[in-house]
Amino acid sequence: MEQEAGRVNGSVVPEPSPMPSPVARGGAAAVTTARPLKWRAVVVPYLFLAPMLALFLVFRIYPLLYGLYISFTNARLGRSDYVFNGLNNYTRLLDDTRFQVSMLNTGVYTVESTLPILGLPLLLALLLNRGVALRALLRGAFFFPFTLSVVTVGLTWLWLLDPLVGPFNYYLKQLGATPPAWLGDPSTAMIAIVITSTWWVTGYYLVIYLAALQDIPQHLYEAAAIDGATSWRAFWSITLPLLRPIILFVVVIHIIGSFQIFGQVFVMTNGGPGDVTRTVIQHLYETGFKDLFSFGAASAMSWVLFLVILLFSAIQFRLLRGRAEY
Amino acid sequence: MAVRRSALTGFFLVLAVLWLTPAVWVLVTSLKQTKDIVRVPPEWIPNPATLVHYSEVFVSARTASVGRAFLNSTVVAVATVIGVILISALAAYPLARMQFPGRNAVFAMLVGSLMVPNIIGLIPLYILFQGIGWLSTYQALILPELATAFGVFLLRQFFLSLPSELEDAARIDGANSFQVFWRILMPLSQPALAALAIFSFRFSWNDFTWPLIAMNKQEMFTLPVALSLLRGAYTSESYGPIMAGAVVSALPLLIVFLIANRHIVEGVQLSGLKG
Repeated sequence: MEQEAGRVNGSVVPEPSPMPSPVARGGAAAVTTARPLKWRAVVVPYLFLAPMLALFLVFRIYPLLYGLYISFTNARLGRSDYVFNGLNNYTRLLDDTRFQVSMLNTGVYTVESTLPILGLPLLLALLLNRGVALRALLRGAFFFPFTLSVVTVGLTWLWLLDPLVGPFNYYLKQLGATPPAWLGDPSTAMIAIVITSTWWVTGYYLVIYLAALQDIPQHLYEAAAIDGATSWRAFWSITLPLLRPIILFVVVIHIIGSFQIFGQVFVMTNGGPGDVTRTVIQHLYETGFKDLFSFGAASAMSWVLFLVILLFSAIQFRLLRGRAEY
Repeated sequence: MAVRRSALTGFFLVLAVLWLTPAVWVLVTSLKQTKDIVRVPPEWIPNPATLVHYSEVFVSARTASVGRAFLNSTVVAVATVIGVILISALAAYPLARMQFPGRNAVFAMLVGSLMVPNIIGLIPLYILFQGIGWLSTYQALILPELATAFGVFLLRQFFLSLPSELEDAARIDGANSFQVFWRILMPLSQPALAALAIFSFRFSWNDFTWPLIAMNKQEMFTLPVALSLLRGAYTSESYGPIMAGAVVSALPLLIVFLIANRHIVEGVQLSGLKG
């Protein structure tokens, strides 16, 4: 394309005369000189993009639109003709108490997990950033659980939290506590899942926070120290405001992820006891692929969840939007 | 000051050991004889140690062989990594280095797709793959993964950070766009490509929901699917085989992680934060 100007392929290419040196030719400047090869300037980039765009069309765009269409039909596994049934799948969700319960549970999980998953890595990062030795090693130790699959993590904590023979409760009892049955107890099952998720992802957010902390110019702290600011004051006036965009990023990523929680629940409780840990994706999975094979209804659920996620992301962007210039 | 730092370091060392304890407990359990597994108080050294659970899950598990699942996961993850790297890099190159109509629209579309949760595609993709008879095949797990915009985004950022002098010099020597891309940009981008490789390997190796739905034959299960179903095949008294399977599934990434700890960290930092 633009930089094809120098190519020897028979085409007559006018050399850009005002250029002081051919090496200094930047992309944008050369564009104007490449007019005779305009078709090439369009075709070449799209040749590079073609594999991605083709796959994107088939495996992202088409499913997005087809899924939306399906959600307005009575599609079902094995049924060859789908009949359009309007908003039926959506209005039926209003009567589906299990769907509502699973929406509520997903919300509870999101609320309960936000503080530990946001706060713990931030706390660790701030402390690690205060000149702790062996930082790479320690960071690696916290990051390790994030390399595991959600299934492995779920099985690990299922075994660890076993009320009878698991070490977690054994040591709690040794400390004089009367530990709950965790996953078997409706009042603690969701907390156990929050603990599991926290262990899984803390290292990931820790690495993100550490990178952001290192990006804060040291001279800001030096200037603050000269002005007599305490380290607490420096944290509130420098660190926290400059971390805002990263905190926003982490909150959004976390909320999007926690609305889609499934693996932990599938492995650890299968939605129980009762329905207290049944989440939207668990319900969607059972509706679409296990009990009813009702693709239309399951698609409608996925779109409702998508819209909720979009709504929350938009709210967060508005609430936490702020400038970070330094 | 030095005392406080040592104290803080000591505190963190203790915390890190505690943090890794759950994983150690899994490893210890997998090496115990079945009768020792449920002993209270917990024993942290398997005595006598045994590999019997490993041979059981590898050869003759009750639901699906972990050995076969390991092979499936490896094939899918390796193919995904190669495909993601090639296709993402090809797409990232013009987005970083060329001016052409539609560039901003293409980029916006790709980045926008990162906001769309994967569950939106589960049912339509299932119907699509069912229609062409590709359920329970490797390509059902590989192809949708190649259409992920994450790698394009990451590599574009990295390409933009590279100076273009070398590319310009190659142009003058008569190299065409593909040669510039392949011989100059790609070798210069090894750190970013390594980070992307580790990331897509991790994602593919650990992916759960889509393989659970798309793989309906035992011999096609990936490790997370086989493990999740292994759970139902054993009672809680025989955690040995389940824990052995968990250890096996964790090993490849643990090895990658020990070798390339720095790359992983750089990858996290590259992904969506810088720039």
